[in-house]
Formats: sequence, structure tokens, C-alpha cells
Amino acid sequence: MTKRTQMTTRTMTTRAAAAVLGAAMVLAGCGSGTGTVSAGGTTPRAGGTLILGENGQEPTCLDPHGNSSSDGPVITVPVSDSLVWFGADGTIQPWLADSWKVSPDGLTYTFTLHPGVKFHDGAVWNAEALKTNFEHMRDPATKSPLAAAYIAPYKDSKVIDENTLEVHLSSPYSPFLNILAQGYLGMISPKQIKEAPQSICEHPIGSGPFILDKWTKGQSVTYHKNPDYNWGPKGAKHTGPAYLDKLEIRFLTEDATRYNALASGEVNAIDFTPPQNVEDVKANPDLGFVSALRPGHPMSFWLNTSRAPFDDVKVRQALLASVDRSAIIKGISFGQYEVAQGFVTPSTPDYASGLEGKIAYDPAKAGRLLDEAGWTAKDADGIRTKDGKRLTAYFPIDPSFPAQRMQIAVQTQAAARKAGIDIQIQTPSTQEVSDRSLAGDYDLASGLWATNTADVLWIQYSSKNITTDKRRGQNVARLSDGKLDELLQTARETTDKAKQTDLYNQVQARLIELAPAIPFYNDPRPVSFQKKVHDLTLPPAYPSPYFYDTWLDE
Amino acid sequence: MRNKILRLVGGRLIAGVGVLWGAATLTFLVLYFTPGDQAQAIVGGENAAPTPEVIAQVTAEYGLDQPWYAQYLSHLGRILHGDLGTSYRLHTPVTQAIGEQAGATLELALAAAVVGLTLSTVVALATAKRRRWIRGIASGSELVIASTPSFWLGILLLTVFSFGLRLFPATGSHGLQSLVLPALALALPIAGVLGHVLREALEEVLDEPFIVSARTRGLADLTVRLRHALRHALVPLITMTGYWVGALLGGAVITETLFTRQGIGRLLLSAVNAKDLPVVLGVVLLSAGIYVLLNLVVDLLYLVIDPRLRDAPATARPAVGGAS
Repeated sequence: MTKRTQMTTRTMTTRAAAAVLGAAMVLAGCGSGTGTVSAGGTTPRAGGTLILGENGQEPTCLDPHGNSSSDGPVITVPVSDSLVWFGADGTIQPWLADSWKVSPDGLTYTFTLHPGVKFHDGAVWNAEALKTNFEHMRDPATKSPLAAAYIAPYKDSKVIDENTLEVHLSSPYSPFLNILAQGYLGMISPKQIKEAPQSICEHPIGSGPFILDKWTKGQSVTYHKNPDYNWGPKGAKHTGPAYLDKLEIRFLTEDATRYNALASGEVNAIDFTPPQNVEDVKANPDLGFVSALRPGHPMSFWLNTSRAPFDDVKVRQALLASVDRSAIIKGISFGQYEVAQGFVTPSTPDYASGLEGKIAYDPAKAGRLLDEAGWTAKDADGIRTKDGKRLTAYFPIDPSFPAQRMQIAVQTQAAARKAGIDIQIQTPSTQEVSDRSLAGDYDLASGLWATNTADVLWIQYSSKNITTDKRRGQNVARLSDGKLDELLQTARETTDKAKQTDLYNQVQARLIELAPAIPFYNDPRPVSFQKKVHDLTLPPAYPSPYFYDTWLDE
Repeated sequence: MRNKILRLVGGRLIAGVGVLWGAATLTFLVLYFTPGDQAQAIVGGENAAPTPEVIAQVTAEYGLDQPWYAQYLSHLGRILHGDLGTSYRLHTPVTQAIGEQAGATLELALAAAVVGLTLSTVVALATAKRRRWIRGIASGSELVIASTPSFWLGILLLTVFSFGLRLFPATGSHGLQSLVLPALALALPIAGVLGHVLREALEEVLDEPFIVSARTRGLADLTVRLRHALRHALVPLITMTGYWVGALLGGAVITETLFTRQGIGRLLLSAVNAKDLPVVLGVVLLSAGIYVLLNLVVDLLYLVIDPRLRDAPATARPAVGGAS
């Protein structure tokens, strides 16, 4: 798990992530449509070049199926369309597929594809093309770090006619359509997949509103408009080609550089606005701001439930009660982050809003719980002991993680100490943290997981996803709870929406009892832009800047 | 004379091959034996959830299940055939990966070298053997600049000249405009050290009897400094070549990151983290090769600058500065 949240950059100032006001997050995350903001009511005009300053998490491969970077979709979605669109209300809407049918057993998906779609190399979008894409995602030679795992239940598919594909799954998998809306599963030209698969990383060819010109590694990606584009998603604001003639994404690793590049007009917009600059952006009449909460698991510290001391649920509950999460998050984010209320963010489908407030700061309760767990004595340092053993937990932190993580860790350590829990923060090398993570040699570990389905809880907490010699899983808490497993598996397999919502509500309530993690904040994607930039949107499937509707007034 | 040069070049080149082999071996061993599962490092990264099939593919394709000596020999054999291989992470040939980045680093290093050498020479020539307060100011500022981390210096330059005065762009590697600040950030600390060394050497030379005799012949001060003193004072500067080239290459990593420039430094950093052996080996071999060639050039330069060495036995020449 340590790898997935690793920042590629190493410098101090880059480490602050991003922020947004709570109100703005709720608006953008749960509002209607695409999470769009638009300034003024003027008519869109075509033309111009938009330059976006991106952070330093440049992928090593631009094949949508070949990367897992949080900068992946912002770079690949201009080029590559998805099969379906995911609305902010959690509904699945048509895009490259006009319609679809799911068999009652949840094992067969029949897609009817949008006719007349052409890839940038002239290849035709049809049932065969979709089949080729599924096979490319799953082919081990693609070395897919994410897409392959997301479509793991995919078995095979059958071309029914030119525009109809029947997809067979090996087990029912209700989040299938949700994840197909994410940029990581965007569609690539079947001609390129068959004839030049080694060129996809460098120069992916899709059917999107923009055609990739050049990837200058370490610096930028440039695109120009696809004049033939006429198959935008239904969730978009217009039809036909994109408004922008050209698009450039520049990697500006340093937070200060990125913000100042916007302030000085070197770029038109920036992604991951540094939290310390959000207030400046909002106060600046020349700049606009938009943000969306990333769906999935909030940024959390997972507690290793497979060994002492966190194998005891009372010790875990005590730690959660001893930490004033609001105060910590307010401090480290300059008041910009929203404290997580549970184990999925509010922008995730089937978020259980009824459980808000259940995880509360209560030092007295923490003390009581530790007493009940038998940690009654205290040593000279004020650390609780049981049978002569100190209540100590080890927390190895990857040195390449954002500085904020360390700040949260240090403040959590201080709070835990007051309750008599000794958290030992360690900073071994990135690779050693990874090895210890594989071996289960830790008591706390930090991270988050962004995906547009509550199935994220299956990924994080099903006992099937505990790392073994054979398979690296994402259940970092190493939680193994029979009742939870059953709820998660049933929710994953059911095709009944109402039943699924009920199941995920039960899952979230159960997790609050089990306390396998300290959830800290709902991770935002804060974007700032010059006022002349209009309709820069953040699609809810995987919030990151989307340029199809974007236009500039001069 | 010609024989001597040929022998020097031949000997140096043979030793150079040894240096390259040693550098490659050490790199392999360090990367192989540091903790961290190789397949996980290659296909891992942010948000990665590689399936067992993908891990198996990576392991088989790159021979990661082979014993270390077999992997070592296969890398070595490949390199001996002149094949630097394909990057594990970028899926492109290593020569291409390095080629895409080398130009930007070369541009930055050359610009910084020119600025650094010019600045140190001009300041040293102007201040050596001058009034005490002049020397004090020069040597004091050199000390401050030389001990300033180039990262901080870069931020300072950015804040003043880019964010503040908006004279130069803060990012990118296109055009002369975007080269000014990074080249300065890289050059100033080097200029500080070299300027100090050069002034000391100049002051020593300016006390020599032949300078006195030159002055008594009525030569102007500037002519004395340029024609007579500088040539002698250049020897320690050249001896420090290893230091400043090392500082250029090492400092490039930080400068490239800060100014969002392309470059080999950033390529190496990410390759080491991902245990991308072909790329790391390629960059290490390139840097080692540059050092070998540079030391050869320096040895030849001694012969040009100091005629006495041309006839002296080879062992008598001054040692070349350590390859830091």
C-alpha cells in the first residue's frame, strides 16, 4: 500500500497537497451535471491555447491502461474517450456506448456502441475495438498497474454484430460500469494495440476531442483539437469539436512555482492548488477556483489489526477517540480540508450520511476503553502497560510522502501519548517501507484510494485482499471480519440498486464499530484558473481537469 | 613528446574501461542488494494495484527470478554488445530516454560552467592583491555563496527575478530566457569556490620575482595580471576540474527539479526509486565516461599550460582533482 500514495517528487515545498473550502467541496462534489463552474453567461467562443500547470506526478507511461498516477486521467482523457460517463448523482450515462443491458445474474453485459466514432488514426470504433481494448487491459504484457485489477472479473466477450458486444464476467461485479467511466479504462485505437503496442506509452491514439502532439518528458504534453469530434459524453455542455485549438499540460513540481506561474500569467490554470494559496486565489478578482472531492477512501491511517496492540478492537477505538481530528486537519490544511466522517468520502455513491458524527473526539472514552482492554498500569513515561509490556505501536512513514502526512502523524502521536499510547514514528527508505508493508511489519500505515464506487471498501477491507506471498492486496489494515466480508461480497454481486445501498450502509456502520483506520480528510482536487478560462470541469468519475467544454474569452 | 602523449592517452583509455566496468558493477550491486522487491518497484508507484499476472510477467520478462550473478552477467553482456537495453518503467530504449534528456542537462551545465568560470576569473583578477577591504568583501561573499545550498539560492532567484520582478520565466527549458536563472543558481556556488582558489593562487604568483621583473619593465598592471600571472594561477583551477564538473552534474538534479527543466538528473532520480536498472546503468556509464574523458583532457591541458611537464617523467605531474 505504501507505493500507491507515493509522491514522485522529493522536495519539501512540493509536499503540501491540495485544499478547498468545505462548502465548495460539497457543491462541486455533489452538485448536478459535471461539477462545472462557469463565470459569466457569455457565449462560448472557439479558439486559443490553454496552458495548465500540473503537479510533478508525471506518469511514466501515457497508455491509459499502463499507469496509475493521479495525473494519468488529466493527461489521457483529452485523447481517449470512455465507454460510459459517470454522473455526479452516481448514474451511469452513455458515451462511446449508447446503451447496455445487464443479465439478472450479473454475469453478462451487452453493450450497444455509438456508431460513427473514429480514432485519430482512422480506425473504426466497433464491437471488435472494445473487445481489443478489454484484452489489452488484461494482457500481462501491458503491465497494467491498475486497469487490469479493476476488470479482474472480466472473462471474455463475444462480438454479436458490428456495434454490439457481449461481455462475460467470471463473477458478478456491480461496480463494473462505474470503473469503466474512469480515465484509466479509456479506449485506445485497436489498430495501435494490434500493430504498434510498444508505441502506446509514448503516444497514445484515441478517439478523444484532442490529438496528442508531443510528450516532452519532464516538462509538458501538448495537444491540438480533433476537428472531427462529434461524440462527446451526454454529461457535457455542448456537442461537436472542443473549443480550444491547442492544449498544453506543464509539469510544475514545486507548489510555489506552480502558484506563481498562475499569478504571473505564465499558465492559464493550475491543478492541485497549494492549500496555503487557496485564500489568495479566492481573494484575487482575476482568478477563479473550482474543487471536487475525490470519491473513494479518505486519507487515513490504517491500523494493523493482525497483531498486537491493534488486534484488540478496544485499543483501536481508544486511539480514534483520543485524536482530535478536526483540529489537526484544520491546522495542516490552512483550514481547507474537510474532516472525513467515515470510511468513504461524501462524493462516493452509497455514502452513509446518517453515520456522520459517529467518530468523535472523546479522551475520557479513550481512557475507559484502554482500561477495559487491560492496559491499566502506567510506566514512568505515562505510557500504559499490560503484563509489563508497554502499549507501543510502530509507524514507518515513506520519506517521499507529502510533508502533511508527517505533520498529521506527529500530532496524532502527541494526542495518543496523552491517552497513554506510544506511537513510534520511523522513516526507513521508500523501498524498505514497501518491503515491510508486504511483510505486515507495521502497526500504522497511511494512504487513500480514489475510485468512484463504494466497492473501494471491498478493495480495502475484504479479507481476500490481505497481502499473501502470492498476491499483494490493498487490505492494509489486514482486517478479517466474517460479517463485513459477507456484506461486501453481497454488495459487490447484487444487481439490485436499493439492496446495494442498504448493504453499503451496513458496511459503513460495521466499519465504525471495527475501527480499522483513523479516517482524516476527504481528499479534494482544487483547481485555480484565470477568469478568462470558462467551463474547466472536473468529471465526477475521477475528478481531474477536463477540457472538452473549456473556452477562453480574450 | 608525441610518444608521451600517445602513451598517456592509451593508458588513460585502458584505465577508463576499468572505471566504467567498476562503476557498472557497483551500481548493479547497490541497486540489487538494497531492500525493496524489484518487480513491485517497477510496476508499483502511486495508486498501483498490479495483479499477480502482471507481477509474473514483469518478473519473467526482465529475468528478475534469476540469481543475482546471472542478472549481473546478462546486464554486462548486453552493455558489452553496445546495447543499453530498454527502460523497465518508460518502455523505451535507454539511449532514447537519455537522449531526450541529455540536451537540456548539457545546455544547463555548459551555461553554468561558462558563467561560473568567467565570474570567478574576473572577480579573482580584479581583487587579488588589492586593498584589504576589497579582498575582504570579495572573499566574504564567495564564502557565503559557496556555502549556500543551490536549492535555496534557486528559490531566492525565483522569488526576486521571476515572481517579484517578472524578468525571467520560472519554468521550462526552452530559450535563453528560461536558462538564465537555473544557470545562475547552479553557477554561483561553484564560482564562489573557484574564485577563492584562483585569488589565492594569483596572490601567490603576484609575489614571484618574475612578476616584479615584469612590472619593472613598465608593463601595465592589467597586462601583468592577464599575460603573466593568470597562466600560472590556472593550474590549481584545472586541478579542481573534477570538483566543479561533479558539482555541475550533482547540482543539476536539484536545479532541474526546482525550475521544472528536463534533464538527466531527474531521469536518474526516478529510475533509482523504481529500480529501473537499465536506465540507472546507462546514466552511470555516461557520467563515468564523461569523467574519464575529462581527466584525460585535463592531463593534456597540463602539458599545454606548463611546458616543464612535457619533459618531466610522467609521475611528476600534479594529481588531477578528485572525482567527487
